[in-house]
Amino acid sequence: MLNIFRMDLHRFITNKIMYILLLVFCAFQIFGIFMFKQYAQPIQAGGIDISKMNESEFIQHLFSQPPSWILIYIFVFCVYFYFSEYNSGFYKNYITMKKARVYSVVSKILVQAIFTVFMMVAMVVSDLIGRGIFFDNTSIGDLGYFAKLLIGLFLLLWAFSILILCTSIFTRSMLVSFGIALVLVLNVVGMIFAVLESLLDNVYLSQYLLVSTIYSTFDYNHGRDLIHIASVATVTLLLFAFIAIRLKIKEDLR
Amino acid sequence: MTSTIIEVRQLTKKFKAKTAVYNADFKIARGEIFGLIGQNGAGKSTLLKMIGGLIHSTSGEIYFFDRSESKDQSFFERMGLLIENPGLYPQYTAYKTLQLLAIAYGLKSPNQYIIHLLRLVGLDASDKTKVKNYSMGMKQKLGIAIALLGSPDVLILDEPINGLDPQGIVEMRKLILELNKTGLTIIISSHILEELSKIATTYAIIHKGKIIEVISKDDLLLKCEERIELEVDHVEEVLPVLEQQLNISNYRVIDQQNVHIYDSHIENHQIVHLLARNQKLVHSIVKYKMSLEQYFLELTKSAGELHA
Repeated sequence: MLNIFRMDLHRFITNKIMYILLLVFCAFQIFGIFMFKQYAQPIQAGGIDISKMNESEFIQHLFSQPPSWILIYIFVFCVYFYFSEYNSGFYKNYITMKKARVYSVVSKILVQAIFTVFMMVAMVVSDLIGRGIFFDNTSIGDLGYFAKLLIGLFLLLWAFSILILCTSIFTRSMLVSFGIALVLVLNVVGMIFAVLESLLDNVYLSQYLLVSTIYSTFDYNHGRDLIHIASVATVTLLLFAFIAIRLKIKEDLR
Repeated sequence: MTSTIIEVRQLTKKFKAKTAVYNADFKIARGEIFGLIGQNGAGKSTLLKMIGGLIHSTSGEIYFFDRSESKDQSFFERMGLLIENPGLYPQYTAYKTLQLLAIAYGLKSPNQYIIHLLRLVGLDASDKTKVKNYSMGMKQKLGIAIALLGSPDVLILDEPINGLDPQGIVEMRKLILELNKTGLTIIISSHILEELSKIATTYAIIHKGKIIEVISKDDLLLKCEERIELEVDHVEEVLPVLEQQLNISNYRVIDQQNVHIYDSHIENHQIVHLLARNQKLVHSIVKYKMSLEQYFLELTKSAGELHA
């Protein structure tokens, strides 16, 4: 297991596309903050002016406006990382090793966790740079709240990356995977659920969907909200990791 | 005594409505070069992928050293695979490709071993050329080096000479024979029969997903050997004449009227003259030599007729 993870990690670290994605993301994030300054009216988000927001509030504000760029970058990376191996047939070189199919999926899940951390670090750093330059505000706010927000977001985004991995294994097509990922990022499923819910009484399923949860604003000091986030992330993460492993075990490889 | 390293029993693979491989049965002995012959789409790659653990069989079993793969899948890691095209990252060099895989195999200090493998297949470890710029032959060689990385007992090569130029084919043949000399069991598929006939020690002929014959090289040579096929009224009357006057000793009686003579020093006209002098009627006499290609075509034709 460790050896296959080390191999994937080596490929991840030496992969130029990962650094390009991070750099482009940082550049667009800073540019986005510049656009806020230039064109946004004195926006009141939850009663707070954007320029006065601390980092926690700013991140939550960004995630409340779908589609989230960070989700797009994550799905691009996940699909690319999986299919660069799958389409080249490189897996054939090691897949006959004992339990290699399981380890290969687990390894990719771990690499995606690392990429998610990188993305979050890039997001926080570029936000601080952008907000520092354009709003002269680098306040993080309450560190405890900020830490809880980052952990919650990390779990949700990691779960999303596993969902994308599962989709990639299932579809076996890069283009189809990109298409499905885009539909998910646009929260089309959440919107359909919301419409169906409006036709029914006392049914609130959409709020428990992963992408809807990512786009919702929660109070991370509130226990119920924390349980909501942790349970949605954990269930999605475990469920799709399990499905992805089962699919890979059963898969007839090309 | 040769020991069986792989045994395939009633192996079947169905893809929805299509049966790619049907009830395949054969044994592969340790140290042999097992040639799988079949036309394009006959089911060669599917069969090799099942043996290599890339795809699952619909039914049937594969036994490695008398143990079923369904009970112990660890045998798959004792195989080196080069199925269809080698799986390579185009932006890597040959050395880096092997280095990356050495991590997955958990090899400690693999550098010397990688250099040895690359030298063995005829590639240069210090070459900085990226795989995307490799010729087909170089890619196939690298594919074999990768397959050898885990020190396998069995090497599975699916159409390894496809797309190679004549020099590449000669080099590949030499490499396969050298590897086999080290004791490695090799399973190789091809639709280029002439090439396969130069290296395989046993042949399995697959046609429309069915193994229609498994035959050793010696038996095949016997079947395809140059001979005179003689048809007379009564073989038992003719044979003493041929034995005494033409010194014929290497022959096979097919039935009461037909005999096959394998003595290469005898010509048709000698037999006709002799039998005419002895007032024996010759119905037909044919000098016969069959290539592996002809044998394969006849076999698949008759299998096709049977199938129809």
